[in-house]
Amino acid sequence: MARRPILGLFDNANSAADAGDGLRRAGIPETDVDFLTDTPYPEGAFGEREEPHKLYIFPFIGALLGLTSGILLTSMTQVAYPLVTGGKPILSIPPMAVVCYEGTMLGAILFTVLGIVFESRLPKLKAGLYDNRITEGYIGVLVNTEETQHGEVEGVFGQTGAVDVKKQ
Amino acid sequence: MQEGRVLSTREMNRDLLRSILDTPRWFWPVVTVLGLVLLIAAIAIGIMVNRGLGVTGLNRPVAWGFFITNFVFWIGISHAGVMLSAILRLAKAEWRRPATRAAEVLTLFSLMTAMIMPIVHTGRPWRILYWVFPYDFARGIWPNIRTPLVWDPSAILTYLTSSTLFVIIALIPDFAVLRDHTTGIAHRVYSVLAMGWEGNARQWKLQIVAGVLLSALILPVFVSVHSIVSWDFGMAASVKSWHSTVFAPYFVVGAVHSGVSAVAFALILLRWCYGWQDYIRHEHIDALGRLLIVVATGWFYFLVMEILFGMYGREPDELMVRQTQFTYWPYNAWFIVFVITTYFIPVILWLSRAWRRNLWIMSIACISVNIGMWLERFLIIVPGLINKQLFTFVWADYRPSIFEIIIVAATFALVTMLMLLFSRVFPLVPLYDVKEGDVLKTQVQIGRRTVPATFRED
Amino acid sequence: MASSAEHHQGGGHGQHAGMWVFPRREEVTSDVSGKTFAMPSVYKLALGIAAVLAALGVVGFAIRASSDGFGSPGPWGYYAAIFSFVFMVTGAAPLVACAFRFTKSHWRRPLSRVSELFAIVGVVNIVLFIPLLLAMPPIKNPDAQGTDLEVRRTLWFEVPIGAPYTWDLLCFVGLALCSVAILWLSATPDMAQARATATGFRRGLYTALAGWWYGTKRQWNHQKAGLALLGAFYFMLIIFVQFIFITEFAMSMVPFWKDSVLPPMYTVMSFQTSLGLILIVLFIMRKWGGYEGYLGKAPFWSASKILLGLTLLWTYHLFAFFITYWYGRLEVEQNILKYLFTQPYLPLFLANMLFSFLVPFLMLIWNPLRRSAWGPSLAGLSALVGALLFNLRTFAAAFNTGNHYEFALSHVPAAVLPDIWDIFMVLGGLGIVALVYLVSAKVFPLISIWEVKEGTLYQKMDTFVRGEYLVLAKPE
Repeated sequence: MARRPILGLFDNANSAADAGDGLRRAGIPETDVDFLTDTPYPEGAFGEREEPHKLYIFPFIGALLGLTSGILLTSMTQVAYPLVTGGKPILSIPPMAVVCYEGTMLGAILFTVLGIVFESRLPKLKAGLYDNRITEGYIGVLVNTEETQHGEVEGVFGQTGAVDVKKQ
Repeated sequence: MQEGRVLSTREMNRDLLRSILDTPRWFWPVVTVLGLVLLIAAIAIGIMVNRGLGVTGLNRPVAWGFFITNFVFWIGISHAGVMLSAILRLAKAEWRRPATRAAEVLTLFSLMTAMIMPIVHTGRPWRILYWVFPYDFARGIWPNIRTPLVWDPSAILTYLTSSTLFVIIALIPDFAVLRDHTTGIAHRVYSVLAMGWEGNARQWKLQIVAGVLLSALILPVFVSVHSIVSWDFGMAASVKSWHSTVFAPYFVVGAVHSGVSAVAFALILLRWCYGWQDYIRHEHIDALGRLLIVVATGWFYFLVMEILFGMYGREPDELMVRQTQFTYWPYNAWFIVFVITTYFIPVILWLSRAWRRNLWIMSIACISVNIGMWLERFLIIVPGLINKQLFTFVWADYRPSIFEIIIVAATFALVTMLMLLFSRVFPLVPLYDVKEGDVLKTQVQIGRRTVPATFRED
Repeated sequence: MASSAEHHQGGGHGQHAGMWVFPRREEVTSDVSGKTFAMPSVYKLALGIAAVLAALGVVGFAIRASSDGFGSPGPWGYYAAIFSFVFMVTGAAPLVACAFRFTKSHWRRPLSRVSELFAIVGVVNIVLFIPLLLAMPPIKNPDAQGTDLEVRRTLWFEVPIGAPYTWDLLCFVGLALCSVAILWLSATPDMAQARATATGFRRGLYTALAGWWYGTKRQWNHQKAGLALLGAFYFMLIIFVQFIFITEFAMSMVPFWKDSVLPPMYTVMSFQTSLGLILIVLFIMRKWGGYEGYLGKAPFWSASKILLGLTLLWTYHLFAFFITYWYGRLEVEQNILKYLFTQPYLPLFLANMLFSFLVPFLMLIWNPLRRSAWGPSLAGLSALVGALLFNLRTFAAAFNTGNHYEFALSHVPAAVLPDIWDIFMVLGGLGIVALVYLVSAKVFPLISIWEVKEGTLYQKMDTFVRGEYLVLAKPE
C-alpha cells in the first residue's frame, strides 16, 4: 500500500499535542508525524521528535573558502601588478588582512544561508498536503503513513478535537 | 514589560498585511512626489557627469564635501538594522520583535543609497569598476588592495549581501503567510518566494538557529564596515585631524547612535501611516529611548577622546584644524549646533519616561540626532581638508553648489520611497516574530500582583 | 557541599541539564550566612598562600624602594604593571553587578555580590597607587626650562595646580568611595538579615552598617534607586579614571605616543578581565565552596557570550591602533610600533595576543564549552593571563623609554627584564588582592541574599503544552 499524507487541523496547541500523544499510542512512528504552525513553538512543545541538523558546519566551510579566496585574491593580484604605493611592501599583511576578513565573513554567511535552505529541505518543489488556515493560527498535524492506518489516524484526530481533517 | 491588547492570529495577519493588501489613499501621491524629487536629482547627476565636477563646490584642497559626508551619513544609518536585529536577538530582548524588520530594511536601502554617493562623487562613475573589481585580465591591471578605498567596497558589498540574505531568510515564513492570503499573480509570486514553506518543526528550528547564527556572523561585519569607512580618513597621515587611532570605534558608535534614532523615527512613522498602534507600542519606543541614552553617552565619550587626543599631541597643524572647527565662522556655529543636537537635546528629552513615550518628542529627539550626526561628518571632513597641508599650494573655502544640495536631498527621498515600496509588497513588521512573542507570553502571580512573564527555551 | 539546603534543579534534560537552579527561598539566609561564617580548610589554605604571596610583595617593594628610591620611573615599571593589572581587573569588577542589574538580567543575581566585593580591593588600590605617584617623572622638565622640551606631553595641558598627583589621587579616592557605597547599599539588607545570627565583631559591624534597615517598601525603593544611580555614576567614573590612568602612566611616558583608542581599549580589556575573574571566583565557589545550589550553569553561559564579545572588541581596538600607526608610516609612529609590539617586547606581545584573544576566542565559539561552567572560567583565566602580559609589556616599556620629555621616540630602546624583586612585587600584587578578597568574603556574604531571594519570585520552571521551560517574569 502507498504512503499518503493526512492532515488534522486544530484550533489550539493542547489539542494538537493530544493528537500527537494519541498517534504515538496508536503506534504511528514519530518520524511520520509533523506539526505545522504559523510561528515557532518551543522545541518539544508538542512532544515531537528532536530535529538534528548540521548547520554549524556550513559557516566553517564557508569561512575557510572565503579566507582562501581572500588570500589568493589579495596576494596574486598584487604580485601580478607590483606597483609600490606609500612605501608599503607589495604583500602588505595588514591591508590584506582587512580584505581577507571580509572574504572570510562573506563566505561564512553565504554558506550559512545555503545551509539553512538545505537543512530546512527547501525549496520544496512539490506541494504537500497543506491548509491555508495554518497561517491563521490553526495547528496542522500532518501524518504521512500507510493508507490502511488512515482510519485509525482519523479516529485519533476526531477524539482530540480536530476542526477539520484533510487527505490528498 | 508587555503592554497592548491581546490579538488573535487572524487580527494580526489583517493588521500587519494591511500595507500590502490595501493601498492607502496617500500612498501613490507620496510616491509620485518622491519620484519627482528623484527625477530632478537624476537630471542634476546627468548634467554633472556631462560637464564635470566643476559644477560642484569641490576644489583643491577640499576634494571631499557633501557627497562623501552624505556617504558616511547613510552608512551610519545602515548600522541600525544589525544593531537592533542582531544584538537584541542575541540578547533575547522581547521588545525587539516589531522593530527588527524595519531596521534591517532600512539597512539595505541606506546602504544602497550610501553606495551611490562615492560613485556619483567620482565624476566618471564607470571608472569605479576597474578601481574596485579585479576583472581587467586583458591589461593585467589590478585594484590596489593597499588603499582603504578598495577595502571600503569589499566591506560594503559583504555587508549588503549579508544583510539582504538576512532579511530574505527571515521573510520566508512571512512569504508563506502572504501566499496563503493572496490570489492570482501575487499568489504565484509569493508561492515561489516561500519556496514551499509549511512551518514544520524542522523548518522553524532552522529558522531560529539561523536567526542567532546569522546575527552572530553579521555583527563582526557590521563593526568592520564603518571602521573601514573611518579608515578612509584615518589612514591619511597628511590630514592631521583624520589620522586618529580612535576613528574606527568612534565612527561605529556614532553610526549606531544615528541609525537607532532613525529606526525609532521610522517606526513612529510606520505606526502612524499604517495604524500599527497594537504592534509598535509606546513600550518599544521607550525601550529604544533608553537604549539610545547609553549609545549617545558612549558616543560622547569617543567624541571627547577624539578631540582631546587631537590636542594632546600639541602638533601645530592639528591644532589649526581644531581651531577651524571651534573658532572659525561658520564652522564654530555648526560645531555648537552639532554637539547640542547630537547629544544634549536628545539625551535630556530621553531622560524622562513620559517624554520617551511621547511620540512627538521622540520624533524631535531622533531627528535632532540625525541633523547632528550629518553635521559631525561634515565637520570632520571639510575643516580637516580646508587647512593648509604640506605640499598644498592652493587652498580655498568650500561652499556646496546647488547640484550637491539637490543630490544630497534626493537621497532622503530615495530611502523613503524605497521603504514605502517595500512596505507595499513585503511586511515591515515580522509576523512570525510578533506571533511568537504572543505565544510565549505568560504571567506570574506574586501576591496580589500579576507580573508579565515569558517562556524561554534557554 | 557544606550546606544542607536542598535546591530544585531546573532544565533536567539534554543540553539544559543543570542550567538553572532554584534555591529554596526560606533557606537562603541561614544557608548563606552559615557558609559565610564557616572556615573550611580549603579557605584557610587559600588564605595562607595569599598571605605568603603578599608578604613576598612587601619584601620586593621594600628592597626596590631602598635600593632604587623614587628618583626615576625606570625601576618601577613592573610595579606599575602589576598595579595597572590589579586596578584594571578589580576596578571594573563592581560594574559587572551594576550593568546586569541595569539590564534586569536575572542570571546576574548569584554573581552580584562576588562582583561588588571587589570594592574593598578598590580601597587597597589607593594605597598601592601612592608609590606610583612618587615614581612619576614631573610634568615640567627640570633640566630644560625655557626650551621646546619644557614639559612632557600630558593630559594636564596647562599643568593646573597639583597635577598630576593631587588629581590622580582624588580620582582613585572618588572611585573607591563610590564602589564602597555600592557594596554597602547592596549588602545592607543582607547584613540586616544576618544581624540576628551573627556573633562577635560581625554583629557589631552589621548593626552599625545596617541598623537602619527594616525592609520597608520605601527603603527598598530607595535602595534600588540608589543602586541604579550609584551604578551609573560608577560607570562614568571608572571610565574616566581608567582614561586618566592609562594616559598619564603609560602613554605620556612614551614620547609621541598619541593613541586616542588606548583608553577605550584599556576599558574594554578591564571589562573582559573583570568578567573573567568573576567567572573564576564563581567556578571556585561552585566547585569547592558549596555554592552549587545557587550557581547553575546559566550565569556562566550568559556571561560567556559577553566574554566572547569583549574578547573580539578588545582585539578590534588593538587592530584599530595598529593599522593606523602601520599605515601612517611616520618614522615616529614606526618606532613606537617597533618598541611596543614588534621588536624588544615581541614575545610578550605574541603571548598577550594568544591569551587575550586566540585562546578565549577559540574556546568560546564552541557552544558546548559555553554551556559548561569550566569553559568560560578557563577562557576568563586566559584573558587574565593575557591582561597581565599586556600590562607588563606596556608599563615596563613606558617606564623605561629613557627621556620622557623628548618630542618623539628617536630610537627603539631595549627591553627591560624583571629582576627577582620585580617578580616578588608582581606576585605580591596578586597575593594582596586574593588576601583582601578572602578576608572580605568572611565579612560580607558572597551571595547577594536579597537578590537571590527576589529572583525566586520571578523565575520558575513551568509547563507549556508538553514541554517544561523556564519562565522569566519582568516586573517593569
